[in-house]
Amino acid sequence: MEYTLSTVGSYPRPEWFSDYLKKQEGLQKGSRVGIDDSYMRALAEVLGEQKKSGIRLLTDGQLLWQNMLCHLCDSLDGFRLSGLIRYFDNNMYYQMPEAVGRVERGNPIILDEYRAACSVEKNIKPVLSCYSLVDLSQNRFYGDEKEFLMDVAEVMNQEAKALAGAGASIIQVDEPSLLFADKEGVEAAGEALEVLTKGVNASFILATYFRDAKGLYPEILDYPIDVLGLDFVEGLKENLKLIKEHPTEKIIQAGVVDGRTTLMEKPSEVKEVIDSITELVSGEKLFLSPNTGLEYLPYVKASEKMGVLSASVD
Amino acid sequence: MNDKILPTTVVGSYPKPRWLNHLIREHSDSSLSDEVMESAYSDSIKAVVKDHELAGVDILWDGEMRREEMTSYFAEHINGFSIYGEVRVWGNNYYRKPSIVDELSYRDELTVSEYRNLRGLTEHDIKVPITGPYTIVDWSFNEHYRTKEDAVYALAEVINQELKALVAAGASFIQIDDPAIPTHVDELEIARNSVEIATKGVKAYTGLHICYGDYSKLYPQVLDFSVDQLDFELANKSFQDISIFREHDFTKDIGFGCVDVHTRRIESVDEIKGNIKKAFEIVEPKRVYVDPDCGLKLLSSQVSFQKLSNMCAAARELRGEL
Ligand SMILES: [Zn+2]
Repeated sequence: MEYTLSTVGSYPRPEWFSDYLKKQEGLQKGSRVGIDDSYMRALAEVLGEQKKSGIRLLTDGQLLWQNMLCHLCDSLDGFRLSGLIRYFDNNMYYQMPEAVGRVERGNPIILDEYRAACSVEKNIKPVLSCYSLVDLSQNRFYGDEKEFLMDVAEVMNQEAKALAGAGASIIQVDEPSLLFADKEGVEAAGEALEVLTKGVNASFILATYFRDAKGLYPEILDYPIDVLGLDFVEGLKENLKLIKEHPTEKIIQAGVVDGRTTLMEKPSEVKEVIDSITELVSGEKLFLSPNTGLEYLPYVKASEKMGVLSASVD
Repeated sequence: MNDKILPTTVVGSYPKPRWLNHLIREHSDSSLSDEVMESAYSDSIKAVVKDHELAGVDILWDGEMRREEMTSYFAEHINGFSIYGEVRVWGNNYYRKPSIVDELSYRDELTVSEYRNLRGLTEHDIKVPITGPYTIVDWSFNEHYRTKEDAVYALAEVINQELKALVAAGASFIQIDDPAIPTHVDELEIARNSVEIATKGVKAYTGLHICYGDYSKLYPQVLDFSVDQLDFELANKSFQDISIFREHDFTKDIGFGCVDVHTRRIESVDEIKGNIKKAFEIVEPKRVYVDPDCGLKLLSSQVSFQKLSNMCAAARELRGEL
């Protein structure tokens, strides 16, 4: 069986490139480096690493992103950044975005990066976020959270349209926060996704990670998305149970190797996990990936991790 | 441990002189010899010690001129760790994140030579800070041990050997830095056990420094940790946490963070006096150690020196008034 292998989004920066950014941008907050020759060289490097490991649906590695949130609001009107906050249970931090005005898309968000990646490789999967961005931000402007969420969904819809217009046939929306949401949040996220995907000529992946998706069922089945991204490292048992109890026609993007540890799984162990999923989902309805982005790993270990993934389906 | 009431001290780090940062960069580009780099470190420590003495600090440390961060610096000297490269913490800030790839065991000293060196430079009392086993494991990858808990305890044994070596070298005050503890309050028991293992048979006055985080989730359980002193940051949170510590009898000495290291604003002597007095709502004055919230390394040398000077002046004046 030829599975579609993919990465989730982030990829560690090549060390020479992180050194370059340190010099150009400084350690605290300096001006941001955009798409320049060095970026293009780093981009080609991480795309090459993915291809070499057999990844078919590639990401640009989010090499210019300071973290999972701030890069998305940098180019939006209405946000400012404040103090450092821990990103879930990772030893990784982000500057908390604060909504201090109406959120609007003054400029494209990741469109230029998407175009840059397309100039190097085919099959690029751009990554956005909506509910999690709102959830992990502080609202200092909107009367209620829902209004805030819907405005962000609206700008992400504009961005998604632009991405689809530039050739993106599949767009991923990263929503780790959804796994920690209450029922009200799960419903609101569904409405936000309706807005985000409306009129966009592309397929959508909803990526979730860091735990199982118990809180999202059964609502997730009605979300206007084509691919469900589930974490089978942190939530193996529960997620298996969920896809068994709730059969779906949607594709499953299964995170089957741990993107947050340098410990390399044995391909045979990973194969067992894949086999337990294919008992419930047919092979052509399955994408395989690490459970999270790979930037939690040192550069040299990211390709090794992808190697484990591809060896497990050989 | 100190005869003086309200002894003043530092948490550990101090800003590196600009010239040192310059030389460290040149050294990493291989345009500076190890020998010159070594003498630069040595000279910078003398400068830091002089700064601390001029400011009036009673219990000193060397400002951690040789340390860039607090995990790999130690991991590099312990058997069983391997470092594959850098991992991002935030923005353009990275650290060399170690992986535990084999059984952990003691190889060579981690802080003893730093202690000896400093001992030769000052007559003052010395406090040796070392990162706690819980935090080092939390900030590492674990490829070898079945559980995080197993890894923490194995490393605690290694740290225990180092603490004993420190005592043998003459150290009388050791501080365990464990900033990762408040990030996983569900593992408080593991952290407690790790400190117990690390300090077992260590005949010195010991402290535990915990910064950031929600102290209400740790207190009063943290009173069971086997140390003499608990050192907290209080200024950064405007001393709101005092009410937490008043809910139960505070049965240890307190290291009372009374100067904010997250702001360049230099607190006045009077303001700091007022801050220190708040400690007396928790414990009697003889149990209070006066220090900044955390290491000073992110501030400029000038600001750090001013903050320390004012802090020491405040303690001095209070001593006269008590
Ligand atoms: Zn601290």
